[in-house]
Amino acid sequence: MSDIKEISPNNLALFGIIGGLVGIYVSPLFPPYTPTLGALGAICAVIWSAEAVRRVAKYGLGTGVPSIGQIAMGMGIVAAMFGLAIVTAFPGATMAGPVVALITASVIGFIIGWFAQNVIKMKIPVMIRCMTEIAAAGSLVIIGFSVAVAGNFEFSNIIAMVFDNGVMLAVFWVGAMAMLHPFNACLGPDERQKRLLYLAGSTGAITMAIMGIAAIMTLGTSGVITLILGIILWLIFYKKFWDEVYKDSAAVVGTGLIPKTEA
Amino acid sequence: MVLDLTMSMAILALMGALATIAGCLEDLESDVGSQSNPNSQVQLAPQMNFLHRIYNKAISGEPISNGLSAVTGGIVATVLLDAKFFPLIAIVIGAFVAAVIYGIFATTSYAGRVASQTRFKQPLYMDIMRYTTPSIIAHNFIVAFCLVAIAYIQYTLLGYPFTIPFLALIWGISVGAIGSSVGDVHYGGEREFQNREFGCGLNTALSGRIVRRAESGLRNSIDNVWFCAKFGGPATGIGLGLTVFFSSWPTTIWGYTWAAIGVGIAIVAVFVVLNRLIEYQVKNAYGPYKEEKNEKEAVAVAHTH
Repeated sequence: MSDIKEISPNNLALFGIIGGLVGIYVSPLFPPYTPTLGALGAICAVIWSAEAVRRVAKYGLGTGVPSIGQIAMGMGIVAAMFGLAIVTAFPGATMAGPVVALITASVIGFIIGWFAQNVIKMKIPVMIRCMTEIAAAGSLVIIGFSVAVAGNFEFSNIIAMVFDNGVMLAVFWVGAMAMLHPFNACLGPDERQKRLLYLAGSTGAITMAIMGIAAIMTLGTSGVITLILGIILWLIFYKKFWDEVYKDSAAVVGTGLIPKTEA
Repeated sequence: MVLDLTMSMAILALMGALATIAGCLEDLESDVGSQSNPNSQVQLAPQMNFLHRIYNKAISGEPISNGLSAVTGGIVATVLLDAKFFPLIAIVIGAFVAAVIYGIFATTSYAGRVASQTRFKQPLYMDIMRYTTPSIIAHNFIVAFCLVAIAYIQYTLLGYPFTIPFLALIWGISVGAIGSSVGDVHYGGEREFQNREFGCGLNTALSGRIVRRAESGLRNSIDNVWFCAKFGGPATGIGLGLTVFFSSWPTTIWGYTWAAIGVGIAIVAVFVVLNRLIEYQVKNAYGPYKEEKNEKEAVAVAHTH
C-alpha cells in the first residue's frame, strides 16, 4: 500500500531509543512520581519494536511472529542484565548501564540476524537490521518495565525487587506479547501501520498496568500512579485502535448473514 | 512445610483434579476463538471467498497465550498475598484480572485480523464479538484459576523453591502445549471439513474451504465448543491431569531421592512403549494415506500445465 503515508522506520527507531532511554534515566530522579516514566519509555520501545517485527515478519513468517517476540526478549534480557551487571564492576559507571545494555543487545541482534541470513540462509533482506532493532528494543522494554517496578536501574536492586519475587517473568512474557501481538493480530494483506502502532501502544499500556500492580507490592504509591496511568493510556490507544478498525474494515455490522460471494 | 503421606496424596489428587479441569477448559477456550491449529483455515477462508461468522482469535500460539494469562494471574495473586489477602480470594482476583486482559487481547486480534482482510470483503460481526468474548474470558478465568492454584499449592504447601508467577508460567506453557497437541486435533479436520469423508486428509485444494453452515443457521464459534466438549476438551484434560499426577507422584511417595528419579524414568519408559504400541495399532488398522482417484487426476492435470 504505497499510497498510504507511513512513519519511516528510522523515525520510529529514534522515537524508541530516545523515548526509552530518557524514560529509564529520568525514572530514578523524583520518587515516587518518576518511576512510572520507565514504563512510558518502555512503551516507546514497544511501539518501535512492533514496527520492526512488522517489517521482518511481512516476509511470510506467519507462525514465526510469536517466535520473533520471544527471541527479542531472550536477546533483550541477556543484554539488559549483562549491561546493568557489568557496570557495577566500574565504580561511578552505574549511569552507563542502560546504554551498555542497548549496545550489547544491538550486537547480539546483529550476530543472530547475520547467522539467520548467511548461515541458515533465510534470504530476508531486512533480517539483520530488524533483528538488531528488535534485540535493542527488547533490552529497553526489559529495563524500562523493570525500572518501573524497582524504582531505579541498579543491578542489585533489580535482582531484589524484580527477579526474586518473579515479576521478571511477567516483564519477559507480557513484554514479549506486547511486542509480537500487534503484528500477529493485524496479520493480513490489508494490514496498516497506523492501526498496528495504536495496537502496540495498547498492548504496551496493558503491560504497564500489570507492572503497576506489581509495583504496588515493591514501591507502593509509585505503583498506583503507574497502574492508573497505564489504564488511562490503554483506554486511549484501545479507542484509537477501534477507530482504525472501523475505518479499515470492509464492513462492521451488528449482525447479519454472510455476504454473497462466488464460492 | 512437611506433610504426612496421606495429606500429600490428598494434595496430589487435588492438583491432578485442578490440572484436569484446566486442561479441559484450556482446549475448549482455544476452540471458542479458533486459536492455534484450526485458526489457519479460518484465517485462509475469506481469501478463498468463504466468508464466515467464526471468531478469529490469533493471540499467538496456545503456549504463549496461556503463559500470558497464567503469569498475569500469578503476579496479581502474589501482590495480593503480599498484602495479606486470603489465598483463595487472591487467586480468584488474580485469575479474573488475567482473564479480562486475555479477553482484551482476544478482541484486538479478532478485530485486527478481520480489518486486515478488507479486500476479501470479510465483515466484522459485532454480535460475534459481543457474545464470544465473554465465553473466552469465562473459560480462561477457570484455566488461570486452576493454574495459579496449582502454583500456590506447590509454592506454599510443597515448598517448591520457585515463585508463584514462575510456576504459573510453566503450567501455562504446559497447558497450552498439551492443548495444542492433544485437543486441537479434534476440531480442525472433523469440524471445519466435516462435509468431507472422515479421515480423508486435507488436500491442498481444500485449504480455506471450511464448513460455514451449522445444523441450523450459520455456524459460529460457540457451535465449535459444543463439538469439542465431547472429546477434544476431556482428552486434553486427561493429558494435563496425567502429566501433573505422574510428574509429582514419585516425589510424593519417595521424596526427593534417587529412587523417585528412577521411578520417573520408568514411567517415561512405559509411556514410550505404550505410545509406540498405539502407533503400530493405528498403522495396522488404517494403513498409509491413500490418494483418491480424482485427487490423482488433479495432480496429473497440474503436472501437464
